[in-house]
Amino acid sequence: MASFTPFSLLFLLLLQYPFLSLSSNSEGNALHALRSRLSDPNNVLQSWDPTLVNPCTWFHVTCNSNNQVIRLDLGNSNISGILGPELGQLHHLQYLELYRNELSGKIPEELGKLKNLISMDLYGNKLEGRIPKSFGKLKSLKFLLNDNKLSGTIPRELTHLKNLKVFDVSNNDLCGTIPVDGNFGSFPQKSFENNRLNGPELKGLVPYDFGC
Amino acid sequence: MAQKIVFIFLLVLIIVKLSSVASEKSEANALLKWKASLDNQSQVVLSSWKNGTSPCTTWTGIQCDTSNSVTAINLENNLLKGTLHALHFSSLPNLLTFDIYNNSFHGIIPPQIGNMSKISRLNFSSNPFYGSIPQEMWTLTSLRSLDLSYCSYLTGPISASIANLTNLTYLDLGGFNLNCSIPPGIGKLNNLVLLDFQYSNLFGSIPREIGMLSKLEHLDLTENTLTGNIPSTIANLSRLNILLLPNNTLSGPIPPPLWNMSNLIWLWLYSNHLSGTIPTSVGNLVNLESLRVDDNQLYGSIPSTIGNMTKLTEISLCFNSFSKSIPASIGSLINLETLCLQTNSLSGSIPDTIGNLKRLSDLELSTNMLSGNIPQAINNLTNMYNFVVAKNNLNGHLPPQICLGGSLEYLNAQSNHFTGSVPSSLKNCSSIVMITLQDNHLEGDISQDFGVYPNLSYIDVSNNQFYGQISPNWGKCDSLQNFIIAKNNISGGIPPQIAEATNLGKLHLFSNQLTGNIPKELGKLKNLVELKIANNHLSGKIPSEIGLLQALTRLHLGGNDLIGSIPRQVVQLPNLLELNLSNNKLDGSIPSDFKTLQPLYSLDLSGNLLNGAIPRVLGEVKHLQCLNLSHNNLSGNIPSSFDGMSALNSINISYNQLDGPLPDNKAFLHASIESLKNNKGLCGNVTGLVPCPSSSPSRKSHKVVLLVLLLIFGVLALALSVISISVYILCIKARKKEDPAKEMQPEELFSIWSRDGKMTFKTIMEATNNFDDKYLIEIGGQGSVYRAELPGMVVAVKKL
Repeated sequence: MASFTPFSLLFLLLLQYPFLSLSSNSEGNALHALRSRLSDPNNVLQSWDPTLVNPCTWFHVTCNSNNQVIRLDLGNSNISGILGPELGQLHHLQYLELYRNELSGKIPEELGKLKNLISMDLYGNKLEGRIPKSFGKLKSLKFLLNDNKLSGTIPRELTHLKNLKVFDVSNNDLCGTIPVDGNFGSFPQKSFENNRLNGPELKGLVPYDFGC
Repeated sequence: MAQKIVFIFLLVLIIVKLSSVASEKSEANALLKWKASLDNQSQVVLSSWKNGTSPCTTWTGIQCDTSNSVTAINLENNLLKGTLHALHFSSLPNLLTFDIYNNSFHGIIPPQIGNMSKISRLNFSSNPFYGSIPQEMWTLTSLRSLDLSYCSYLTGPISASIANLTNLTYLDLGGFNLNCSIPPGIGKLNNLVLLDFQYSNLFGSIPREIGMLSKLEHLDLTENTLTGNIPSTIANLSRLNILLLPNNTLSGPIPPPLWNMSNLIWLWLYSNHLSGTIPTSVGNLVNLESLRVDDNQLYGSIPSTIGNMTKLTEISLCFNSFSKSIPASIGSLINLETLCLQTNSLSGSIPDTIGNLKRLSDLELSTNMLSGNIPQAINNLTNMYNFVVAKNNLNGHLPPQICLGGSLEYLNAQSNHFTGSVPSSLKNCSSIVMITLQDNHLEGDISQDFGVYPNLSYIDVSNNQFYGQISPNWGKCDSLQNFIIAKNNISGGIPPQIAEATNLGKLHLFSNQLTGNIPKELGKLKNLVELKIANNHLSGKIPSEIGLLQALTRLHLGGNDLIGSIPRQVVQLPNLLELNLSNNKLDGSIPSDFKTLQPLYSLDLSGNLLNGAIPRVLGEVKHLQCLNLSHNNLSGNIPSSFDGMSALNSINISYNQLDGPLPDNKAFLHASIESLKNNKGLCGNVTGLVPCPSSSPSRKSHKVVLLVLLLIFGVLALALSVISISVYILCIKARKKEDPAKEMQPEELFSIWSRDGKMTFKTIMEATNNFDDKYLIEIGGQGSVYRAELPGMVVAVKKL
């Protein structure tokens, strides 16, 4: 049959399979996918070499003794772009520090899969859309700080987070009422200021999405 | 009679000629009409398509047959943009080839393509068509070649009617969302030579019917979510050269008949869940050039028959559980360029025969249990590019001539038992990118054994017995990001020239014998993320220029002889996670430049001569988990701001001059006496600590003053409320006659509730006349709801 010599096939294949293929480390691939959505004028991600066996030598990435990513420290890095669903694959992540950048778009729901997350600092970006309900599954979460363009209501699921110590959603565009159950009873007023919130939830009388 | 026949013959000829001219004209018109629907750029590209000229002679990309009817449209790679909607396919009845590969044709693939009744080769690849493949596609039974690959917005599914296209020899539907399973009807396409469904989001299993494609030479199912076993019928494909199944979720063993497919040239099964062993029959694949089974669950030994596959250029068995030794027959694979055996359970030594592999450039043996020496013969391999033997039990020396060919980029030998010196060919190895030799027993003078490397990005030789001084030449390594020479016997000072390597991110020189000052020039390293120079003999002050390192996350200067005070610029570093200045001779007080939101989680200032109080702002650093201030001269109380440090879980303030109560914080209250002892007057509810007195003499006078103030305030408050209530009652009585429905902002209501509960209660009682039925709105399951007219708004009040 015409034209299917091994050489032409090889050529076709070489186009698709470069010499050093991506490592089979799923966390490295997830971070590589994160990087592909970001614009990085300060080149803080210069060390993120996806051909390495794992991302543990990459700057701003900290691993535990099993070479699993536990910290991602990209605060104050002048990065812009959007966050993708791949962040949800960093199953051992404890600290997600992306504060004070120019990140836009929505907060991916997949962040709700990060069972080990202790701190999520997304403040000082341009993130929009709702606070995902899936955050109610982040049982280990202690710190949740936001200062963005988030809208919609504060999901009631967050009142189940027993470990949540600091919750600051000031300076957003949130509406509805402020939950009062669980740890929400102890958060100070200033955690909610500069939104379009309608005071604390009055169960049965004022619906949770009042004013939305 | 003969004349009549000639006349009729001529007439027929003329009619045929006229109709062919007419049809040629209608074909031209159809093409021009289509051209007119495309964008401006396309008009330029197709400028040769002019009214009045013949498509068959001058038009770009058009071919005709002997009767001047258009048979081929070849417009690949032309930056054309538009749709196919205006193309009247019926007007091109003789079209055999339609190739618009790599343009910007968008919109749906119109069902009218079904009118191309003679079409043989259809290539729409790499266009942004969207929508699903029209049903009419599966009626084009004359098709021999169909390529819709990488039309990224196109969707499937593949209809079962694909079985109709029995003339197909080439079928490529890869690179878009087919989102279906492979129909068993595919087995009917018995003329197929190439079948490509890569990156198509296929699920389900590979149908057994695939074995019916007796002419198949190339099968690519890369990157889908195919499950189940590889069907053994695949072995029936006796002409198969290329079998690509990587990045799926295929499971079960590799079917034994597969090892008889002696026409295979490329066999890629990597990144699946395949299990089982590789039998000796693997040696049958004498034509194989690339074997990749990495990242599966294969086990057992590597058969020595692999030596029969002498055409192999690449063999990858890594990330499996292969055991026993590397067979010596590997030396027969004289064409081998890439050998990947890393991350298995291989043992024994590296066979000497590896020295026969003259073309070997990529050798990955790391993370196994290999022992013995590296064969001497490796010194003769001049094409070495990637030499990775890390994490084994290897001993002896590193091959001195490893960079002989001048192409070595990666040298990874960490975590073995290597002795001797760094390979001598490394000194002038300008190609090198990464050197990792840590955790061995290597020795030598680092100022002699290394050179200047323009491409070196990562060097780690920690935990060896290197000595000598750090050469200022390292500053000339423009690409250097990681410079790690910890845990050796390095002496001399830190050369300020190292700051010329402005890409430095990690500078780790801890646990050596370094002396002298910390050069202030280090402040120039804008990209420095980690500076770890603990456990040396560094002296002098901490330069304030360290405060310029905006990217710094970890600063470890502990265990040196540093003097002076802690520069406030260091505390102000905005991205600092860990600060360890322990065991130096630092004095002065702890700076109060901490910020609430700084990410600092570990602070160790222990073992210094620090005095003064613990700054209040330190208690506001939300993320602080570990705090060690022990063995200093700190005095005063622990600030009450420490009460709220919810992240704190480990503290040590022992051996200071602190007094006062412990803060109301679980890290302090659960601390052992070892972390609190030897202070001046600390008190608290911890075993071994003095309990705090209920009222101390100095506080008694404070308490009396407070009491008096409270009394006065109370009286004033009472008077105010009496006056206000009367005013309110008067107002209500007046307002009942006015319009009561003035809307108060919800925020105002909220502020009344939180500020002045007592006031509002009295007001509500007034407004509902002590919950008179007159004001009852409804009775619910948990109480009654009343209507209350407060000043400024009407509210519903639920009485439980």
